[in-house]
Amino acid sequence: MSARQKILGRVKAALKDRQTTELPGPFQAWRPVAPAETPVDGFALLLQAAGGEVVRQPNIDAAAAWLTEFTTNFDTATVGKTVPGKLTPALKCSAPEIAPLGVSMARGAIAETGSLMMDARDGRRSQLLAPTHVVFVHARDVYATFHEALSKARDDLPSAIGLHSGPSKSADIGQVMVRGVHGPARLIAVVIGGD
Amino acid sequence: MSHTVPNQYRSEASRTLSDLPEVRTSIISATDNFNNNRLRAYGEIDTDRWRDWARDVKTHTLTNLDRYLEQAEESLTANGVRVHWAETAADALVAIRQVVREHDLKSAVKGKSMLSEELGVNAYLEELGVHVREADLGEYIIQLLGEPPSHIVGPAIHKSLEDCQQHFHERFGTPLDGDPDTLAQAAREALRAEFLTADLGITGGNFLAADTGTLALIENEGNIRLSTSLPRVHVAFVGIEKIVPRLEDLAGFVQLTTRAATGQPIGNYISLIQGPRHQNEVDGPDEVHVIFVDNGRTNLLASEEAWEALRCVRCGACLNICPVYRQTGGHAYGWAYSGPIGAIIAPGILGLKEAMPLPYASSLCGACADVCPVRIPIPELLVHWRERAVEEGLATTTEKMGLRAYTALAEHPRLFSIGGSLLRKLPWQHGGRALPVLGGWMQERDAPNPSPRSFQSMWKDGIE
Repeated sequence: MSARQKILGRVKAALKDRQTTELPGPFQAWRPVAPAETPVDGFALLLQAAGGEVVRQPNIDAAAAWLTEFTTNFDTATVGKTVPGKLTPALKCSAPEIAPLGVSMARGAIAETGSLMMDARDGRRSQLLAPTHVVFVHARDVYATFHEALSKARDDLPSAIGLHSGPSKSADIGQVMVRGVHGPARLIAVVIGGD
Repeated sequence: MSHTVPNQYRSEASRTLSDLPEVRTSIISATDNFNNNRLRAYGEIDTDRWRDWARDVKTHTLTNLDRYLEQAEESLTANGVRVHWAETAADALVAIRQVVREHDLKSAVKGKSMLSEELGVNAYLEELGVHVREADLGEYIIQLLGEPPSHIVGPAIHKSLEDCQQHFHERFGTPLDGDPDTLAQAAREALRAEFLTADLGITGGNFLAADTGTLALIENEGNIRLSTSLPRVHVAFVGIEKIVPRLEDLAGFVQLTTRAATGQPIGNYISLIQGPRHQNEVDGPDEVHVIFVDNGRTNLLASEEAWEALRCVRCGACLNICPVYRQTGGHAYGWAYSGPIGAIIAPGILGLKEAMPLPYASSLCGACADVCPVRIPIPELLVHWRERAVEEGLATTTEKMGLRAYTALAEHPRLFSIGGSLLRKLPWQHGGRALPVLGGWMQERDAPNPSPRSFQSMWKDGIE
């Protein structure tokens, strides 16, 4: 008998006389975690509280202008595959391993948790290796809740989704919070559109 | 500190308290932080409803576990993940050995995983000639020091800043008064080189959604995202109790777990992994393996009384609040899972005999049950395992003799009354401190004077 059959057999035997219970309905916060006027406001509030930066731009052209201004201090960048042409910085491209700046496009964001939803199709290395990470997200893709974001994603799942909710951090050395332990030390979300 | 076993709990706990007083200072300071953060984070949500929901989803899943395991396997396989089943720790190690051999893997980066501690993955892989690097900063520190983790969430919380400064100075040449940023930067550089060259990434799994085959991992540093993204093979050890039915259930469990563990609204990085790199993706592992591990979990599941411990999400809240754990930290417990939760899963995973005396490492104050995000009745389960220990003749001689003596007294009214009058006349104030056990407690305390008359004699005369 295979290990699989043995384990499933033991589980079945263990549960033979156990009363089963119903699956509860979906998770809801029941009371909003971060009361805010709009999902974008809620998202910005929580991401900033976790040490992230939030920039709002009314449209893609304004976002492109912001990027040009922002990247004047950088020599090279690594750019995600799904970043639109207009939002690609006018810098030399470099490998994610050595780039000082990563630029990515998020597939969405979550107001309830202050998270950016990073899709593997955009490229994982450019989301993780550079010390500074700029992430564009459309205001229309900011979901109110984590539950809603997952529900919308379920029919279009890449090999991995990473939720990024602040700069990389750790308190493992003497319980003092430090940034940029393995991932980016600086995370800037640029929300395009909305009010 | 070397690795010990639970049987040495009493001597290890007293050794920690007498020889390593700085451990207690670090543990209390760290767990105070965890507790304050959890209190604030629980205060921001409708905690009772979140906890009821999480308890009910876990209970439902566990009481239908065979069905959900089969569904999870089917979803994972459809996603291109290779699924292995391991009845024991030895089976789990054989499974990873096959993967290592098949791909001739040489070096591994590892995200923090308590299950891998339980299974002894690092030592085993090193024997096979695979270099294993712990990538979580806390795990990295204790790996360099050759110590086991002392807490489920903060493996190095028993180490002070000064400990780390000294150690990093010796290893990396950082200044002896280097601030945490300087030390972390040195570790980042050393570990970055390993991330870029490793061909194997190893993780555990916080949750696994059965319907989409999504493996969820929670962290703050980015080491798990890197370990599951850079090496060409990813192996995840997943306890069979980690299944949740629906992808959307992760929304509740991930938020509740991080609020209970560190007080954050969500872990800084959440990895939601479906499988190996798709053709249209630029990077990610070529292969993903999930090893489902039983290793005694079905023993717990089979127990009508003890199975609820399997709801555990490994947040560490019960350790942080436990007045017993807080004195020594986790090393004294002698295995991967310390504190109250460790004491109620050890009998299932190690066997009750090997787990002794951990069910006794508690004052039964009940604080753990008050904070548990999935409402495990921890004190009841501790009492259950103590009862089992007495039944199986595993209780200490003192406890057995004490219980036998009390039984004899309680069954014989004359003896009971004579015993009572003796106790009232003994010179407690002076002689008490010479007694074993009780004497220690009385060093700093005065014993109250006993009532001059017994309750029974007062009852006969009519109590005013």
